[in-house]
Amino acid sequence: MKKSNFKILQDRTWLLSIVIFLLLVFALSRFFYLQIIEGRNLKIQREANINTFEYIYPKRGRIISSDGYVLAEDIKSYSIAVDLEEKPSVSSIDLLVKIYPERLTRSSVENSIKQSIKGVSQEVLLDGLNQAGISKFLVRTGELAGFSVIEKYNRSYVDHPSMFHVLGHLGYVNNSDINFFQTRIDNFKPNIWQLVGKSGIERVYEAKLQGVHGKKFFNRNARGNRKVLIDEESFKEGEEVVLSINYEAQSKAFDLLGKRKGSIVVLDLKNFSIPVSVSTPSISANDLKGISSQGYKALLDDSSRPLFNRAFMGLYPPGSTIKPILAIFAISNNLTNWTETINDDGFFRFEEENRVFNAWKEGGHGITNLRKAIVESSNPFFMNLATRYDKDKLTAFFSDIFFDKTICIDCYPQLFSPLIDDVWKQKNFGSNIFKGDIINIGIGQGYLLTSPLHLALMAGIIAKKGEYNIPFLIQQNEPLEQTKKINTNISDDDWSRIHEAMIGVVYSKNGTGYRINPGELKLAGKSGTSQLKKFTSREEYEEIRENPALRDHAIFIGFAPYDDPRYAISVLVENGESGGAVAGPIAKEVLLELINAD
Amino acid sequence: MLININNFLLALSLFFIVVIGSITVYSVTSIDLNYFFRFLTISVFSIILVSTFFYFVNFNRIISIGWIIFLLNILLIISVEFFGKEINGSKRWLDFGFLSLQPSEFLKITFAIFVIQYLRYFDFKFTVIRSVLLLAILVASALPIIIQPDLGTGIVFIAFGLLLLFICGMKFKYFFILALSFLVLSPVIYSYGLSDYQKGRILNWFSSEDTLAESWNILQSKISIGSGELLGEGFLGSKQNEFNFLPESDTDFIFSIYAEQFGFLGVGLILILLGIFIFSGLSGFRQKNILADDYSAYYLGIYFLMVITFSFLINIFMVSGLIPVVGLPLPFFTKGGSSLLCFSIMLGFIFSAKTYLKT
Repeated sequence: MKKSNFKILQDRTWLLSIVIFLLLVFALSRFFYLQIIEGRNLKIQREANINTFEYIYPKRGRIISSDGYVLAEDIKSYSIAVDLEEKPSVSSIDLLVKIYPERLTRSSVENSIKQSIKGVSQEVLLDGLNQAGISKFLVRTGELAGFSVIEKYNRSYVDHPSMFHVLGHLGYVNNSDINFFQTRIDNFKPNIWQLVGKSGIERVYEAKLQGVHGKKFFNRNARGNRKVLIDEESFKEGEEVVLSINYEAQSKAFDLLGKRKGSIVVLDLKNFSIPVSVSTPSISANDLKGISSQGYKALLDDSSRPLFNRAFMGLYPPGSTIKPILAIFAISNNLTNWTETINDDGFFRFEEENRVFNAWKEGGHGITNLRKAIVESSNPFFMNLATRYDKDKLTAFFSDIFFDKTICIDCYPQLFSPLIDDVWKQKNFGSNIFKGDIINIGIGQGYLLTSPLHLALMAGIIAKKGEYNIPFLIQQNEPLEQTKKINTNISDDDWSRIHEAMIGVVYSKNGTGYRINPGELKLAGKSGTSQLKKFTSREEYEEIRENPALRDHAIFIGFAPYDDPRYAISVLVENGESGGAVAGPIAKEVLLELINAD
Repeated sequence: MLININNFLLALSLFFIVVIGSITVYSVTSIDLNYFFRFLTISVFSIILVSTFFYFVNFNRIISIGWIIFLLNILLIISVEFFGKEINGSKRWLDFGFLSLQPSEFLKITFAIFVIQYLRYFDFKFTVIRSVLLLAILVASALPIIIQPDLGTGIVFIAFGLLLLFICGMKFKYFFILALSFLVLSPVIYSYGLSDYQKGRILNWFSSEDTLAESWNILQSKISIGSGELLGEGFLGSKQNEFNFLPESDTDFIFSIYAEQFGFLGVGLILILLGIFIFSGLSGFRQKNILADDYSAYYLGIYFLMVITFSFLINIFMVSGLIPVVGLPLPFFTKGGSSLLCFSIMLGFIFSAKTYLKT
């Protein structure tokens, strides 16, 4: 018997009713799951959707020189961006192009709108506008719907290139920066486009300069454009950093080196702060802003290495400038005295190894004592002296005068001068130190390397008769609580005699620095040349010097005034050949500038 | 008898659903309160007017011109291709100035009237030929919708068509044969018949990874729903809507915003109202008609109740991420005139069908 239509309808309606009932129960349990079980989690996701924040970057602290020049500061700059939500009309694009005809065209604006990344709410069209540039826009804002102004700070540095190596520069934070700062700054949590100090003062004083950034909390919509400001966390502007650098002397020192490669470092012996630290060639940090990658590569590849800070990182053989230092060592260890003489005939014969060392002066200096050996820079005297050095004691002494040690508290980056001992030589040459090595070290050649900063510190230690403090770059008004003293065993009289010998370098007729002619400046010092290439005779050097890049470096260390030392200086002129005639006069000018400024 | 407890419950649940729907539409668009009252009034009155009109129109007359109405509807859908206005890349709307209509929405009704007319002629006896013919017409009339392109509406239309044939008593074996042939043909349809966008939608539903843009909508929809928790954020409290995180929050995804505002309790209320609506609606059709042995009205009444209920369920399954997104509006929760008109006509038929139950 076939079912009636009505019966079929009833059966199927029943079936569907059951299905609907089950679906209703299923729907209810689905919503129970989403709203009751998962509700909390989903609500957290919603809050993450809506809540966003933005950093408020405070104005970075200024950097000021000790003589009051602003060396680096944040200057407000303005950008004009197109709002991609509310796109500008053709007429307002035309008006904008009319206001900035040299920087925009209608097609460039339209292209940047077209090429903008999806999801971004603004696209910057023009940046780096100053107050005057932006005011042209602001007076016509009403007609320029669809464009808006973004304010930010731009770091601006003094244009003179003398400051670059001291100040350093800023760059976008990377992983190594994060590692560097995390150990130095509490809660260092930069976001990816944050600028941080990459070198110099900008890096060392990052914590102080950057201030404390604030936050603005927003509710935002799905397109990401800000909508409602709900909270704000206040920021603190960066603090000012005042340097010990005297900008007038610094720029003068830089100009004195001119086109030559080299370095000048001056220490203020009041507290061992650094009023002058120059490395040439250099650039202004302003030149690095917005530099193309090719331009940057060209700077890196430049054989004169303008980005390399010779003052803190250049390692040169100190040459004869090491002699007064070694005199201290010799006297302290009773290896010589002021009366011992040798006959300097222009050669030093090292019988043990059956070698003959040429001295720089043909015919030699004749009968020579320690004073004369310093004044006239006798190599045979100091080589002879070096044969008596105990290498362990020498190493201990070098260690005491900052070989392989931090030479400056806040110079970044700096290279330590290597401490030449058996360990060092084994590592680098696979053998222990020979006597011959010590003889070369005895005249500041061979393995001995020092940075200009280190030379200045050693000059300061001599000037202060063994007292010292670790140099630094910021202004310190309080006098030093206590100075340290190097570990020597020499009398005040010996110190005075060393000073006297260094005065003789400049003032006695035979002195290697006699040509400096210091005038009113009471200058004591020691000249030196550092050899780039080994040679055994004058003739050989004449050949070498055909290539200017292989000529000896000229070095001068000194202090002034000699009766009450205030400044210690090191001047290094690459390939300058004569410490006395090239480096010395520069030292004089720089010290005069400083002393006259006081 | 029209006035009994079941019909009272039917009307009452319907009234609350319409009021809640209007409130939700207002909360999403939040234009102003005047607009809200106007909207509510228009909704309620258009429902009353249209359903009253269809209540009084002679049922048999309408059914007897079923094929003409159906054909007109098909023609309108095709004419959309030529005169329609394009929104979101698909042509669905005919603009009559004072209102724009989406003719494909009405196909659910006109196809049903046509099928009833056809089957009544054969006293609802299905044969192989009749079944195949009806299925062919069903699929053929879905094609113009699918090429609009509006795959979702097309699939939903076919599903509702099958539901109709099921209610009308088509034999189970035909459904099995149909399902089997679909399974065999589906790879072919997938490869050649679908656009990349449509493939993406289907793939997204099968894959658990939230890689495609479509997942964004579903994710945001779930976030909205979940954020409502038990009690909801309160009226106008939907932050997902305020900050535009949920796309199409005023159409397909309106229920998520409702759930965010009124929480699980609100959802429960709607589901209970829906349950009251469907079961009180169906209950009347359980009695034998003593006046006639013609059950055409029953078929239509039950079918339209099912259409409203399933539309509701499909939409909330869709927004809660259980089934793929097919652009199916939530009945009475929409500004769309076509949808409202469509559901009002269905209500008219439902109430009209009940007059057959006079004792």
